[in-house]
Amino acid sequence: MNRNRPTPIVHTERLLALVPYISTHQGVSTSELAAMFNVSVAQINNDLMTLWMCGLPGYTPLELMDLSFESGFVTIHNAPTLQSPRSLNSDEIVALLFGLDLILDSISKDSSLISNVKELIERLSNKSPIHSRLRATNPVAGSLRAIIENSLNEKGALKINYHSLYSDSYSDRIISPLEMYSESGVEYLLSYCSTAKAFRTFRLDRIESAQSATLDLSSHLNQQTNSSPDVAYSIKVIERSRLMKERFSIPEVEDDEEIQLHSFSEQWIRRSICASSGSAQLIHPIEIRLEIAEKAQQLLERYRQAKSA
Amino acid sequence: MSRKSERLVNLTIALLATKRYLTKAEIFKSIEGYEGSDESKERMFERDKDDLRSLGIEIEVGGFDPLFMDEAGYRIKPETYRLDLGELSGTDIALLSLAAQAWNGQALSEAAHSAVVKLKSIGIDSDVDSIPTLAPRVSSSTAELTSLLDAIATRTPIFFTYLSQDLEKLPRQVRPYAIASKGGHWYFAGFDIEKAAMRTFRLDRVSGEITIGAETHSFEIPQGFDLLQNFETDTKSSTAVLEVRKDKAFVLRKDAKVLKDLGEWELISVEYSNSNTFIDQVLWHMDDVFVVEPKELQDSITEILEKLVVLHE
Repeated sequence: MNRNRPTPIVHTERLLALVPYISTHQGVSTSELAAMFNVSVAQINNDLMTLWMCGLPGYTPLELMDLSFESGFVTIHNAPTLQSPRSLNSDEIVALLFGLDLILDSISKDSSLISNVKELIERLSNKSPIHSRLRATNPVAGSLRAIIENSLNEKGALKINYHSLYSDSYSDRIISPLEMYSESGVEYLLSYCSTAKAFRTFRLDRIESAQSATLDLSSHLNQQTNSSPDVAYSIKVIERSRLMKERFSIPEVEDDEEIQLHSFSEQWIRRSICASSGSAQLIHPIEIRLEIAEKAQQLLERYRQAKSA
Repeated sequence: MSRKSERLVNLTIALLATKRYLTKAEIFKSIEGYEGSDESKERMFERDKDDLRSLGIEIEVGGFDPLFMDEAGYRIKPETYRLDLGELSGTDIALLSLAAQAWNGQALSEAAHSAVVKLKSIGIDSDVDSIPTLAPRVSSSTAELTSLLDAIATRTPIFFTYLSQDLEKLPRQVRPYAIASKGGHWYFAGFDIEKAAMRTFRLDRVSGEITIGAETHSFEIPQGFDLLQNFETDTKSSTAVLEVRKDKAFVLRKDAKVLKDLGEWELISVEYSNSNTFIDQVLWHMDDVFVVEPKELQDSITEILEKLVVLHE
């Protein structure tokens, strides 16, 4: 696999790719080619000029490719040798194999397309430089993502069914998606939530279903938005662990260190501390701290009773 | 720049069009751009061959003509040069294009795009209507993904520093076998040389760069080795019985069996693999979940609750 190739190589690769593309897209405009090959129109003209000089040894008009592009529209003739597209290289095969596996994961198991996808995977695998299976899954279903991306592009509203982990409940909401971003392997959708009348961030993998919805704009615009609550808290590290570093997103963890953090929810703080096996101690806020002690005590009683019974 | 690429294109055309092997002398005589002394032509040609090979073009050497004793000839076989994925339908083209879109903005997006250009060049119209509206997306990865793919492709050992569970940064030596993404993360599996056993690693827990060793093709990878399948088979070995408050703990209920209705509560059974992870999950739900079985799990949870009380009183 070769990346960061020197310029003449990249150039040659593009020249070799241009011929078959133009051959099946006779009359294509130079601006369209520029967009397809990700270079300027000037560069495309330059490329075509170079190709115009190329051909079979002898290099008389009989052997040269017959290219015309002065009008801004390109046709090519007399280029049988380079006419069919080049075979896929290693990187291309690998990229397609991962993509196909994602599709396999996203289409329903009884779809007739399953066999098409499997057949393509089989054919590409035979040419792949990698002998193991290239597998890719995504916590967000491809069909759901298509709906969300569409609403982002169209600036439309969605009706979603959302599972909130920290409140441990499902809810139906009308949202206007604003931005999608990813952090530590989790994708989020920043939206205006008409149901909560506030900006809310949703985890993509917790959206159970989504469909496009219409939004009553008048109620939307006149409402004052209250942004998500931001809770400051601090914890002390009792036992360093990778789990803890990842859960609380702490860059460097030292034992016995008190760390100041922020969260969007008190519930999240409470649950995260409980789920950290006693390796983190909540210092502030004091109310949440006492609540954890109380709930843990009650639950402890229940386990002790069960044991003695 | 264009003189060099012009020569490379002409060389490709000549080697593709020829039905027999072309000798160097023939190449220098007939292809434009080979100039200077014999030695410099020679050097130019050697470089050109390497350049075409780096583009994945296979140049065949052979055709020793008995009349010209030891002179080698060169050609490019059209069948290795041309894209050949068998017969492709409009649906196949649509599926392959969709597969390429999954890399949008990610590590292999350039390769994915050049694959699409090649597929479009075949001249078969993509039948988009025959496939459902999907937006497959690969999970985002670190820059090390491509190094790792190279190492697997060339079967070369890799060296890296890995963040262990207790946050130690330890050096690892691994023969990489396979790579896969799951749950938003990329994983790779391979034979850990020091531990003399198979291990799985999460790519974003690799600290710093992955160094590729010098010995290529130094081990075999079992054909069709599937990292995710291995994941699935060594998990879900234990069963727990839980009392769960109704309409609560949806995460635990996902693959659970309801055993009994207890009024305000329900008795369910859940399969789990790693008991530490499972305990964390149970305690995330605080007093909405109570472990009935197994006893060892009860004991571990009791211990943690004692700690939590002491720490937060």
